Amino acid sequence: MFSLSLKEIRFFKLRYSLIGFIMFFVAALVFIISGLANGLSSDNASSIQNMNAHAFYLDKDADNRLDRSRFDEKVLSDIKDNKNLQAVGLQMLSLKEVDSDKKVDVSMMGIDPNSFLMPKVTEGSTIKSSKGPTIVADDSLKKQGIEIGDKLYEENSDITYTVVGFTEKQTFSHTPVAFVNKESWENLFPSKQKVSYNTIVIKDANKDLQEDVSSTIKDGVWAEKGDVIKGIPGYDAEQKSLFMMLAFLIVIAVFVLTAFFYIMTIQKVNQFGVLKAIGAKNGFLIGSTIIQVIILSIVSIGAAIGFAAILQAIMPKGIPFVFDFGVILIYSGVLFIVSIFGALLSSASIVKADPLQAMGRAE
Amino acid sequence: MTKIPLELKNIRKVFQDGEQEVEILHDLNFQAIKGELIAILGPSGSGKSTLLSIAGALLSPDGGEMIVNGENIANYNDKQKADVRLHSIGYIFQASNLVPYLKVKDQLKLVADLAGSWNKETQQRADELLKSVGLAHRANHYVQHLSGGEKQRVAIARSLMNNPDIILADEPTASLDSERSSEIVALIAKEVKEKNKAAVMVTHDESILSYCDKIYEMKNGQLTLRTTLKTTLKTTLRTT
Ligand SMILES: Nc1ncnc2c1ncn2[C@@H]1O[C@H](COP(=O)(O)OP(=O)(O)O)[C@@H](O)[C@H]1O
Ligand SMILES: [Mg+2]
Repeated sequence: MFSLSLKEIRFFKLRYSLIGFIMFFVAALVFIISGLANGLSSDNASSIQNMNAHAFYLDKDADNRLDRSRFDEKVLSDIKDNKNLQAVGLQMLSLKEVDSDKKVDVSMMGIDPNSFLMPKVTEGSTIKSSKGPTIVADDSLKKQGIEIGDKLYEENSDITYTVVGFTEKQTFSHTPVAFVNKESWENLFPSKQKVSYNTIVIKDANKDLQEDVSSTIKDGVWAEKGDVIKGIPGYDAEQKSLFMMLAFLIVIAVFVLTAFFYIMTIQKVNQFGVLKAIGAKNGFLIGSTIIQVIILSIVSIGAAIGFAAILQAIMPKGIPFVFDFGVILIYSGVLFIVSIFGALLSSASIVKADPLQAMGRAE
Repeated sequence: MTKIPLELKNIRKVFQDGEQEVEILHDLNFQAIKGELIAILGPSGSGKSTLLSIAGALLSPDGGEMIVNGENIANYNDKQKADVRLHSIGYIFQASNLVPYLKVKDQLKLVADLAGSWNKETQQRADELLKSVGLAHRANHYVQHLSGGEKQRVAIARSLMNNPDIILADEPTASLDSERSSEIVALIAKEVKEKNKAAVMVTHDESILSYCDKIYEMKNGQLTLRTTLKTTLKTTLRTT
């Protein structure tokens, strides 16, 4: 059965490679879109995704949105100095590079640099209060020409920060995160305005502590990390529209592949009749058709996986494309099942093929 | 008593022609015994192919018994009939009906594979069969490059591959010139004699009847024995 399938593919190379190419392109497109969804997701939310956090305490009315949640610094004083709990301030700001007058958008995050929230510094040094207002920023800021030692000026508060280090995979709402210490954070607020933070982060699950926070600080709720990520402006819409594309692509794949296998089977009905006339059974004919589809799928989907991997390597840095092998394997499985399903649908015409056709009666 | 490979008893076949029912085969009786090549003649549309399809387990009769090696297969299901075709019957079609994407050797391998019997022994048989139909040198060629006569010879070898008791041929020479025709029929006759098969051949071609042991004519849905070969030969001899 297997060798017969292979011989047919080898003989009708063109016909089978056309179908193979279509499968390859559909699979490659699925992988590219899923890679983009992945890349955009991390470009949008990596600072939260990579944050060493179990849950976030947010304002009840904030709809899980970090940027809408606010807690007065005074209220927070009750829970300060806990290794498992940390307040985080977050604000989108435009900073002006002092030398070039160029503006850069950042998400400024005020944290305790000695706490579990501080990401690993990959270049330069960490935040030190002795050196005045300093920033450790996501390295995507480098693409905008910012280097270690550059000075960034914030207009409203009239503060100039010095970039002392870079970290990686720390973005929020498609902007690089600029980490500052709490002192710098609190200086952002004009003197007549109350200092506030956006959220309280708990590192490890701790029910008692969480309940404690809930009862000390009123009008708040604990939100899971996943829900906070979905609350990042634009995140959900972005992911949903990409996912919709993927879903449609797979539906299209179902129709295209089914139609192709159907046409191919119809074309071969006479051949199936002849094979039946010399004693082949339905099971054998369906089996060898399915084997062909399996061979085609493995080769084309495999090639598409390779293609996506190469794409990942050669894609310019600016395009958020992240090749996640686990996700790609899942989509490969889906496409594989889709093509087997398409082939099975056409096996009805194999069963219907009449061995009498071999008699060559002109209809 | 040796079993009769193929026996048809009171076979009836009716086709629907618009409103009307047409009885193509009417209470037909027929036997084929080992070592004999039987020819069936008859006008076009008289039901020869229909008869052969029934004998070849490709078509079910509307009545009567169709006995292959002592077993009535008239009411077998599709799968059982496929098995009968695979093991007991070798069919040679008018258009040789080879598999386009297989090499000559693989055409024979395929039927052995279908029977699950591709091994050293059958491999050797395939080689011998190709030699006896004079195509050993073509074993590794695709069939598209073969001539009509060569294709028919491959079909003959294929029909013998699973060592069936019955060989059926429906106008195997219709698409060949007269020289090729007698070559092909001579080959069928040789294989039938050598391998002791029961063979039935439908033909239009009177010139090849000398190779046949019995000649039937299809008329009004029934077969009538025309003459025996010997008397044919005698009359031919006398007139020349
Ligand atoms: N499947 C069918 N449906 C209806 N009529 C058929 C069918 N098969 C054959 N016939 C009719 O039966 C008659 C005999 O056909 P056939 O056996 O092919 O004749 P022959 O081979 O002797 O020329 C023809 O009139 C043909 O039209
Ligand atoms: Mg006919």
